Amino acid sequence: MTNVRSSPSTPKRELVAGTSTSTVEDVDGGLKRSITGRQLFFYTLGDVLGSGIYVLIGLVAAAVGGAFWIAFAIGVTIAAITGAAYAELVTKYPQAAGAALYVNKAFGSTALTFLTTVSFLAASFAATGSLATGFSSYFATLWAGPPALLVSLVFLFALVVVNFIGITESVVMNMLMTFVEVAGLLIVMVIGIWYIAQGEADFGVLTDISVSGNPALAVLAGIAFSFFAMTGFENTANVAEETIDPHRSFPRSLVGGMVVAGVVYVLVSMAAALTVPTDQLANSDAALLEVVRQGILPFSTDVMTTLFSIIALIAITNTTLVTVVTQPRILYGMAKEDVVPGVFAKIHATRRSPWVGLLFSAAVVAALLITGSILIEAGGGIDLVNRLALVTVVFLLAIYALVIVACLKLRGQDEDERTFRANTPLLIVGLVGNLAILGFSIYDDPTSLIWCAGLIAVGVVLFLIEYAAGSRNRSQGAARGDAGNASRKGA
Amino acid sequence: MHVIVATDGSTQSLAAARHLRSFADPQKITTISVVAVIRPLASVAFADEISEAEPPSPGEGAGSFREAAQGALDAVSAVFEHWGPTIDKQIRSGSPAAEIIKVAREYDAGLVVVAAGGRGISDAILVGSTAQRVQHYAPCPVLVVRPAPRPRKATRGKA
Repeated sequence: MTNVRSSPSTPKRELVAGTSTSTVEDVDGGLKRSITGRQLFFYTLGDVLGSGIYVLIGLVAAAVGGAFWIAFAIGVTIAAITGAAYAELVTKYPQAAGAALYVNKAFGSTALTFLTTVSFLAASFAATGSLATGFSSYFATLWAGPPALLVSLVFLFALVVVNFIGITESVVMNMLMTFVEVAGLLIVMVIGIWYIAQGEADFGVLTDISVSGNPALAVLAGIAFSFFAMTGFENTANVAEETIDPHRSFPRSLVGGMVVAGVVYVLVSMAAALTVPTDQLANSDAALLEVVRQGILPFSTDVMTTLFSIIALIAITNTTLVTVVTQPRILYGMAKEDVVPGVFAKIHATRRSPWVGLLFSAAVVAALLITGSILIEAGGGIDLVNRLALVTVVFLLAIYALVIVACLKLRGQDEDERTFRANTPLLIVGLVGNLAILGFSIYDDPTSLIWCAGLIAVGVVLFLIEYAAGSRNRSQGAARGDAGNASRKGA
Repeated sequence: MHVIVATDGSTQSLAAARHLRSFADPQKITTISVVAVIRPLASVAFADEISEAEPPSPGEGAGSFREAAQGALDAVSAVFEHWGPTIDKQIRSGSPAAEIIKVAREYDAGLVVVAAGGRGISDAILVGSTAQRVQHYAPCPVLVVRPAPRPRKATRGKA
C-alpha cells in the first residue's frame, strides 16, 4: 500500500494560501483551461462515431432486418437523452470521475458507488476487447497474413505503449482522426445517394422487419445493439475540468455531438440497408465494407475497399485509445478513493503514467482476447469477446438509468444560475427507454445475468481484499469514506 | 527577475525547487511563478505525490485533477515561503512543455526551473521530454535539475 498521505494536513497550507496571488476560483486568474467547446464537440463525435457502427451494424441488421435504421434512431435518441443527464451533472460537478461520482453524490452509498465503477470497468474492458477484434477483422481485409488474435494483441499492446510513453496531449490529433471517421461514413452515404439516383433502390427494404416472432421485440433487440454503438460519450465527462467555460460549452458539445453522431448513424444504416442484402450484412465481420464492395461508385472496388479499411482502422484506433486511457484513469481514481488496492495509484517516476493500472487493464483485455480465441478454436460456439460486449450493455444500461435517477434526485442541490437543466419529461422518457432496453436484454438473454454476476464477483473479491488490507494502514479515526475532512477543504 | 518553477507533482520537481532555493539570491528574484500543467487527455491528468494533504474522501473532491494540481502547487510554493520573492501560483491545462514556455513568455521570465525527469535507466542518457522541449524552446535560460546520482559503483565494489 502506498497510502503515505494519512497524516493530517499541516498548518503550512494556510500560510501559503495567504501569500498566493491567485486561487482555485478561475475565470481570468492564472488557471488556464485548454479545451474549447468546438474541440469538445469533435471529441464527443469521435468517441461516439468510432466505437460502434463499424463493428456493430451487422449485428443490428441480423436482429431486425432491413428496418434496422429504426433501431438506430431509437437507440440514438435514448442515448442522447442520457447524454443530457450527464451534461446537467457535469455542469454541477465538473470532475473526472463520471458516473461513480454522481451516484455517490445522489445515494451516498460506498457499495453502490463501488459496484457502479466495477460494472463500468467491466463494460469498458469488454468494449476494448470487442474493438480489438473489430480492428483485426478490418486488418485482415488489408493483409490476411497474420492470425487475427496476434493482430488484436499487437494492436492492444501498441496502444498501451503509446499510453505509457504519454498520450499525445493534443486534442487536435483527436479532431483529425474524427474528420477521417466522418469522411468514411460520408462515403457510405454518397454510395447510398448514388444508388438511389441510379433508380435501383428498393425502399421497401427500409420497412422490412424480417424476424420471426414479435416485431417490437426484434426492434428492441436492435436498439440494444445500436445503443452500444452510441456508448463512449460518457468518456467526455472526464475532460470536464479542463474545458473552457464548461457550463456553456458542455451541454452544447456533448448533446450536439451525440445528435450529429445519431443522424449520421441513421443515414449510414439506411444507406447500408438499401445497397446490401440484409443477410449479407448480418453475416459479415466488417459489415460496412460490404457497402463499398458492392461496386456502386465508379471507382475500382479494390481501391475503395483498401481506403475504407484504413479509415475504419483509424476510427477504431481512436475509440480504443480513449477506452485504454479511461480504464487506468478509473482505477487510479478508485485507488485514490481507497476503493481498490492503492497500488493502482502508482505513477511511473519518469513517464508520469499509471503503469500498474495500464498493465492490469492490458492483461485483463489480453486474457479476454486469448480465452475468446481459444473458445472459438475449440468450437464451443461461443464468441466470448462479443458475447461479453453484449452482456456488459446490461451494465451500461443500468449505470445510465442510475445516472438519470441521480440527475433527478440531485435537482435543487448544488445548483447555480449557470447549471444546465435537462428537460425533465425527456429525462423520464430516457429513463423508461433505458429500463425497457435493460429489461428486454435480460428477458431476451437470461444467461447474461450469470455473466454479469460473474463479473461483479471478480470486483467484489478485489473490494474484499482492499477492505482487509486497506483498513490496517488507514489512520486512526479516519473511517472509510469519511467526509469530515473539513481542514482539507478549507485549505 | 521573474523565475518560473514547474511542477508535475513529482518529488523530483520538489527537489528542483529546493535546489533553486539552495543557491539563488532572493534579493535578485522579484517573483516566483509556480506552474502546474494538467494534461487533459492523459490517463492520469495530474498526479500529486508531494503534498501532505489528505486524499479526498469519496464524493467530495473525487476525480478532481485540479485539486491534485493545487496540492502540488502548495507543496512547491511552501519551499519558497519567507524567502523574499512574491509567490504566484498557476494551474494550466494542455501540453506541459508548451504551457511552461507560454508562461515564461507572458511574464518575460529570466529563468525557468524544471526537473530532469526520473532516474533509472534514463538516469545517464535521457532527460525527460518536457525538460528537453523546454530547454530547446524557452525564451530564457533554463535550469534542469537532475536527480542525485546513486552510488552504484561503491555498492558493486563491496559485493
